[in-house]
Amino acid sequence: MNAQPPIRGPRPIRVVLTKVGLDGHDRGVKVIAQALRDAGMEVIYAGLRRTADDIARIVLEEDADVLGLSILSGAVVPLTTRVAQALKAREIDDVLLVVGGIVPSAAQEELAGMGIRGVFGPGTTLSDIVDYIHHNAPRLRDYKEQQP
Amino acid sequence: MSKPTTPPYDAWLERHGEQLSQGRKPVFQTPSGLTIDPVYTPDHLAREGWDYERDVGYPGEQPYTRGFTPSGYRAQLWKTEMYAGFGSAEDANQRYRYLMSQGTTGGISIALDLPTQIGYDSDHEMARDEVGQIGVALTSLDDVERVFEGIPLEQVGHIFSTANAIGPIVCAWLLALYEKRGTPTGDCIVQLQNDPIKEYVARGTQFLPIEAALKLTTDMIQHCRTAAPEWLPISVSGSHMKQAGASCVQEAAFTICNGIAYVESCLARGMQIDDFGHVLELHFCTEMDFFEEVAKYRAVRKVWTRLVRERFGGTTERAQRFRLHAATSGRPLTAQQPLNNIARITLQALAQILGGCEQTRTASFDEALGIPTQEAARTSIRANQIIAYESGVPDTVDPLGGSYYLEHLTLQYERRIDAIIAEVDAMGGSLEAVRQGYFQRALSEGAYREACAIESGEQVVVGVNRYQSDEPAPMPTFKVDPTAAERQVAKLQAVRARRDAQAVEHGLARLKADCAAGANVMPALLECVKAYATIGEIADVWREVFGVYVPEAVRF
Repeated sequence: MNAQPPIRGPRPIRVVLTKVGLDGHDRGVKVIAQALRDAGMEVIYAGLRRTADDIARIVLEEDADVLGLSILSGAVVPLTTRVAQALKAREIDDVLLVVGGIVPSAAQEELAGMGIRGVFGPGTTLSDIVDYIHHNAPRLRDYKEQQP
Repeated sequence: MSKPTTPPYDAWLERHGEQLSQGRKPVFQTPSGLTIDPVYTPDHLAREGWDYERDVGYPGEQPYTRGFTPSGYRAQLWKTEMYAGFGSAEDANQRYRYLMSQGTTGGISIALDLPTQIGYDSDHEMARDEVGQIGVALTSLDDVERVFEGIPLEQVGHIFSTANAIGPIVCAWLLALYEKRGTPTGDCIVQLQNDPIKEYVARGTQFLPIEAALKLTTDMIQHCRTAAPEWLPISVSGSHMKQAGASCVQEAAFTICNGIAYVESCLARGMQIDDFGHVLELHFCTEMDFFEEVAKYRAVRKVWTRLVRERFGGTTERAQRFRLHAATSGRPLTAQQPLNNIARITLQALAQILGGCEQTRTASFDEALGIPTQEAARTSIRANQIIAYESGVPDTVDPLGGSYYLEHLTLQYERRIDAIIAEVDAMGGSLEAVRQGYFQRALSEGAYREACAIESGEQVVVGVNRYQSDEPAPMPTFKVDPTAAERQVAKLQAVRARRDAQAVEHGLARLKADCAAGANVMPALLECVKAYATIGEIADVWREVFGVYVPEAVRF
């Protein structure tokens, strides 16, 4: 294959953050948005009450590497499952899904069973979240958008 | 010419410069960013041109810094209110009876679940997993009747609810309930938050375009002036903005800016401030910086009453005496070592009492873990009672008045609030500030600043980033009855089956026509709720006529 060498460096990690469900408390998710921004990432906060399909569409449109869901309502497993299904339905398999908010330990295990390990409950430090994303965001996209 | 003498405070600073430079912190600042001097003296007040008569005055007299009544808590203690609600109407009814039996004096304060607040019926797809979770599910007049079943309204005295975007619907429910029971509106005061503007900034239950929400709020205020003149049809709230990251000064100023928007909307209808000034309420929450909070309540009284006189043309004393409502904040409460929160709640309650608030709500120590248990709720009522009956604090009016520090802080607060109002005015007012994301940005920046300060250890949170404990705290947490949602949906479906479908249809058609014509929606809403139209059906008419709120993506 006649691969062209990249002529510009890797683009910053692009993160879509959003809330699912009806809960409107977005202090936390906006704090994370600023921490990720200050760590050099591009962050789009998609706002409140997004449906699963809405979210999958935004991930595609924004060409996101990471999708972060903020859920404080207690319904973390069913809501996350719906989003994961919507991503699958649009054949999005290269986005890192992370979850933040109030996550009981039983829910944490269920999410791990779904392959979601980036689960951040109360007390997680901002630097832990930044580090997790730096180490786990899909790297293969970095050289995708090459200009001749 | 004689040499000017150094003011005594400056001379004191010079005498002790070396010791004073060795503080525990590099800078001493309030959370709102005001620099704190090592001590406050008459010099500080003189430098600011402070004048006792003009800036403080006497209780019950302008500028109302020391309170709206001459005798303060000597005549009547603050009303103690406990915010509660979960599950279905029957579950909430039990909790209200319990709280009343424990000596709450502030009536019934209803927390609503999210589907209700956003105008969805309990069996709507968006309501899945959320029915009865963070408040009680109310979908029709039937639920409202069940919430108050067996509770004499005249003994309750006061009903509050955080109905915002749905404020007019809850108002119609209660008007219908009073009518059915034959209770005069003056026997039990209804107070609804009915403040949708701040939902777009912080709390997030908005579901209509902001202009429509303002119109509906104004409809309700206007309707109540004749239908229930004793009721308090709006509680302009800063509490949620503060909990989402506003500083104490911003909380006060942004709330007042929103208050200006509501008053102007009423005035544009031809209403007179002298007729409705006294039924307006401003609501704030009290967090941990004790003196900032006391200063805030004193400054807010001063600023708002001045606005009523000078900006809105109020001429009566009554129009200036708005209702000042305070709540301790759930936000500084920690999940770690939850009993520590009793100390936090007590300090916050004391600050709002020393700030002279007539009605106060108190959080419970287990709020960081879930809906309060009965024991936690009772302990908070007791904290109020201990301040009231054991501390001696309420025995003289405004006991902190005249403190050099507090008076200086109150003056700084007043000036900073005025400066923010001027800034928002220049932007074109509150609605425009929301559209431009000005309030929202201030909040998220404040929240981030604090998160970073806690993470670096610069800001200490006891039990969280210092004095942590490994001992597991066995803390019983409250669980909503898992059958509540099922029971709620079954009741709703039964209501739909037994009501007069034609009456519902007629009411909803009238509502739609009135909305489209720009008429006051309250008469049509009353017809709808009396026919047992559901909240989802009513809100859907609004959505159809006014359009829906579309969340905005923000790039950071």
